Amino acid sequence: MQNLLKILLRYSNFLVFVLLEVAAFMLIVYNHAAPRSSVLSTANSVAAWQYETVSNVTGYFHLRQQNDQLARENAALRNQLAAAEGAEILSYQSAKVVQMTTNRLHNYLTINCGAEDGIQLGQGVRNEDGVVGIVRTVGSHYSVVMPIINTQNNLSCRFRKNDYIGTLQWDGKDNRFALLTDVAAHMVVNVGDTIVTSGLSPVFPEGIPVGIVENSVLYEGDSYYTIRVRLSTNFKRLKYVEVIHNADQNQIEALTDGLD
Amino acid sequence: MDWTKQIVRYVVVMLLQVLLFDQLQLMGICHPYIYVLCLLMMPITLPRISDMLIGAVIGLMMDIFCNSLGVHMTACILLMYVRPYLLSVLVNESDRLNEQLSLRTLGMEALVKYVVILVLLHHLAIFLLAAWSWHHLGFVVAETIVSSIVTIVVILGYNILKYR
Repeated sequence: MQNLLKILLRYSNFLVFVLLEVAAFMLIVYNHAAPRSSVLSTANSVAAWQYETVSNVTGYFHLRQQNDQLARENAALRNQLAAAEGAEILSYQSAKVVQMTTNRLHNYLTINCGAEDGIQLGQGVRNEDGVVGIVRTVGSHYSVVMPIINTQNNLSCRFRKNDYIGTLQWDGKDNRFALLTDVAAHMVVNVGDTIVTSGLSPVFPEGIPVGIVENSVLYEGDSYYTIRVRLSTNFKRLKYVEVIHNADQNQIEALTDGLD
Repeated sequence: MDWTKQIVRYVVVMLLQVLLFDQLQLMGICHPYIYVLCLLMMPITLPRISDMLIGAVIGLMMDIFCNSLGVHMTACILLMYVRPYLLSVLVNESDRLNEQLSLRTLGMEALVKYVVILVLLHHLAIFLLAAWSWHHLGFVVAETIVSSIVTIVVILGYNILKYR
């Protein structure tokens, strides 16, 4: 017993080191499964407040572009209103982007709406140009969104011309482009084909622009195309987004969860 | 150890980190983490266990700003664990390092080795853990080298300006 204590004392530094590392590693694993700790992320009010203050100051330098964008956004909203007669289950919550990274493998953006504004985990986010991402963490006044330019994100898409379905993934290289996979070799893919959301999940309604085909390659012996898509959304200029409330989302997800 | 000085330096360095160095855009491979300056330049008066705990807290603070829970924490604990071993290899009589760890007490050669080795270790750990797969290994290595160079230059520059 005494020997055991001696050994423990002798190696106490190493033991504490291992314990701390295991704890930190468990945090990483937990965060990877689903980053939803709102205190230990930028959904935390203090961190988000700091980013929001900075973005308020730097915002003055982009006012002209902002005005253009808001005007376009208003027009898009009016169109939506006109087209919305048949789609009453959808509603949009406008939010401002207070922080965003575009230069990492796992990019995130923080928006200034949270649980108290009705934001829920898993809701889709778009702007007037196209798809932005999915809500991954909800704090009381801020939320963290995983954009499509995050290597962990998969998005179900379809070709507008013939409804053929594929999966959009990001390769971590350039925030203007992503890759469309699962498109079989018998399809005819042309440069300039429009890719839109498939509507196969309740997160995004059908037909939101995703991007256009920049180029497509069919390697010899491959049965699937490698397609590079130019994204509709300009992530470097992202300031305002809309969170999509789908009244049926919970109901649909509860049904599909029951299948597993 | 002068706690006020350490804390003031930490706050200033964190502001620079979040407001300036996190905003750099260089082909997506330049993410210098200059906040390790505070950990590297901390005097070695405290017990090693407290050193590692301080590393854990500072890493966690950075994780909160990066949405990368645990990544910086793991790297900082590793850094603080390795630090005394490396110092005992680089410097013969480590008594004089108790008051201050700087260009003056270490000498240029030992300081450069100390900073380069630990910054590379820290940045490699972070980018490997952040990528969370071996698919991006080439990218991770490039990211480590480019980012480390910036961090090393900042830390050496700080020492030269302050203790020349």
